[in-house]
Amino acid sequence: MISRAVIAQSSPRDHLVSWEWTRDHLDEIWTRTVEHVQLTAVALIIGFGLSLALSLLAVRYRRTYGPITWIGSVLYTIPSVALFGILIPFTGLGFWTAEIALVSYTILIFVRNIVAGIDGVPRAAVEAADAMGFTRIRRLWSVELPLALPTIVAGTRIASVTVIGLVTIAAVVGNGGYGALILDGLNRDFSTPVVLGAGLSVILATGVDASLALAQRALTPWARTRGAE
Amino acid sequence: MKVVKSFDEPEEAEVVRTGAAGPDAGTSDRPNRPPNIGDDPVISLRGVTKRFSGTSTDAVTDLTLDIGAGEIVAFVGPSGCGKTTTLKMINRLIEPTAGSIQVLGQPQGAIPVHELRRQIGFVIQQIGLFPHRTISRNIGVVPELLGWDKRRIAERSAELIELVGLSESVLDRYPPELSGGQQQRVGVARALAADPPILLMDEPYSAVDPLVRERLQDDLLDLQAKVGKTIVVVTHDIEEAMKLGDRVAILNIGGILEQYDTPKELLRSPASEFVASFLGRERGLRQLGLLKVGDVELEPGPVQQGGDSATRALQVAEAHGTTWVAVLEDQELRGWVSTDSLRDLDANATVNDAPLEYFVATVTVDTPLREALDLIVRSRTRRAAVLDNARYLGMVTIDAVAGGLQ
Repeated sequence: MISRAVIAQSSPRDHLVSWEWTRDHLDEIWTRTVEHVQLTAVALIIGFGLSLALSLLAVRYRRTYGPITWIGSVLYTIPSVALFGILIPFTGLGFWTAEIALVSYTILIFVRNIVAGIDGVPRAAVEAADAMGFTRIRRLWSVELPLALPTIVAGTRIASVTVIGLVTIAAVVGNGGYGALILDGLNRDFSTPVVLGAGLSVILATGVDASLALAQRALTPWARTRGAE
Repeated sequence: MKVVKSFDEPEEAEVVRTGAAGPDAGTSDRPNRPPNIGDDPVISLRGVTKRFSGTSTDAVTDLTLDIGAGEIVAFVGPSGCGKTTTLKMINRLIEPTAGSIQVLGQPQGAIPVHELRRQIGFVIQQIGLFPHRTISRNIGVVPELLGWDKRRIAERSAELIELVGLSESVLDRYPPELSGGQQQRVGVARALAADPPILLMDEPYSAVDPLVRERLQDDLLDLQAKVGKTIVVVTHDIEEAMKLGDRVAILNIGGILEQYDTPKELLRSPASEFVASFLGRERGLRQLGLLKVGDVELEPGPVQQGGDSATRALQVAEAHGTTWVAVLEDQELRGWVSTDSLRDLDANATVNDAPLEYFVATVTVDTPLREALDLIVRSRTRRAAVLDNARYLGMVTIDAVAGGLQ
């Protein structure tokens, strides 16, 4: 019955994207975009913060690295839809259910990259920092983290692309975003919102990825210089 | 300017050095420290032992030694002799297992480790510049930690880059853009940035090629003449140790101190078989490089005043067993005349009547014996005249050189 109404309402079903529908729903598309960006940003920020803490723990106490990445890997391998399903009885439908799932997917990516980045800091630079009287925290902040930055940004790019894709699925727990457009289209067997939701998600992911790459270039001018020898 | 290290005049040399060290050398409670090394060491190790966990032997064994203000001390020995471990115990990158280490009059643990380290410049083999900071910011690292303002740091960086012989244009570059030798110089500038009284150097030149190494060593000695720091340098290269060190500590496996003395004294009287073999063959030749003409006994030589009679000059030559006589005008050396030409003269002629030849082999008391010996073997007279400006002091012969090595 619904699909009949849809057919009646949107005659140009033969087209993949109805520009008329798009024009009429610009407000909704914008709302979905904001929701999508919000879900992504919150997941990345919390995921990064949590992972940074875990990474520092792993760097300081090397024995914890195995268990931390093991847990990260387990979380990473749980199919997202299933994870939402597991969480709903505890946290219900909503924003934080989505975030818990999204954050858990970022942990492995972030931790691996942050630890690899800090491990990759030249030994001599660390020794020099110690010898010149850096405190541990100062050494971390002004030597290790800056030098780990390219690797950390690389991880952030992977994490953000992953999260932007996963946020579309977060719509199943009632969170809007481009996933809501896609679900709407699928429910109504109407291609326009599906294509728009998927397309915009891809554009957002590519855009964020490119901006992070540019940001890294700007933040690490030293990484562009090549040796004189 | 080439630094002339005066082994022969330790007291006077010491006064100069300590004076140059000036306010940095002393701790605040003793502004006018006596310029005597032994009495007031800047670094003092007492019975220091280090055993690393998981090993059954000591890396450093019961080491006791003092390092005085303004001197360069070289730690040298084969790998496993604990020289780097000892160095790193001074700025507490490594904690000793037993014994005590006093730095700048402060007992161990008197101030937090990071504060102690800010008073001690450190240069490592791998240089360890921060690749993400410009040269200028690399040099300014310690001043920044000490809270200097930006302007003062920038001025200091510019001053130091010049001091280590680089142009100011490198200040805005990043370390990977510089050659190994240039990076090494920046490493030294960085270590000196906050004007620390002590400079520790861990195999500073082993990563650069031999030609650059030699220049950097010379530059360090030049620099030391200007800054007068207390410098401890670790090296596995005995040549480097002898060249740089006012005193050299020769360490054996397990951090056992075999001998701690001036290069000259080490060569003259090695304390053990180990030291002798470590110094290597050609010990005599090496001594030649370290000793100066002033270290050996000069002989008066066959000399006559220009106005003296030719007959008398011939007698002098005969007495010395030479075929020539050096000619002086008061204290000044004019040249020499041959006995053949003297014989050709009339009975009442003076030395001045004979054709004068110029003395090619002239040295000063500061000329290294090696150089003097080279002149002697190449000269016809088989000896070199020792001059102070034009004033004649005496002659140095091969026998005198050999005597000086005993």
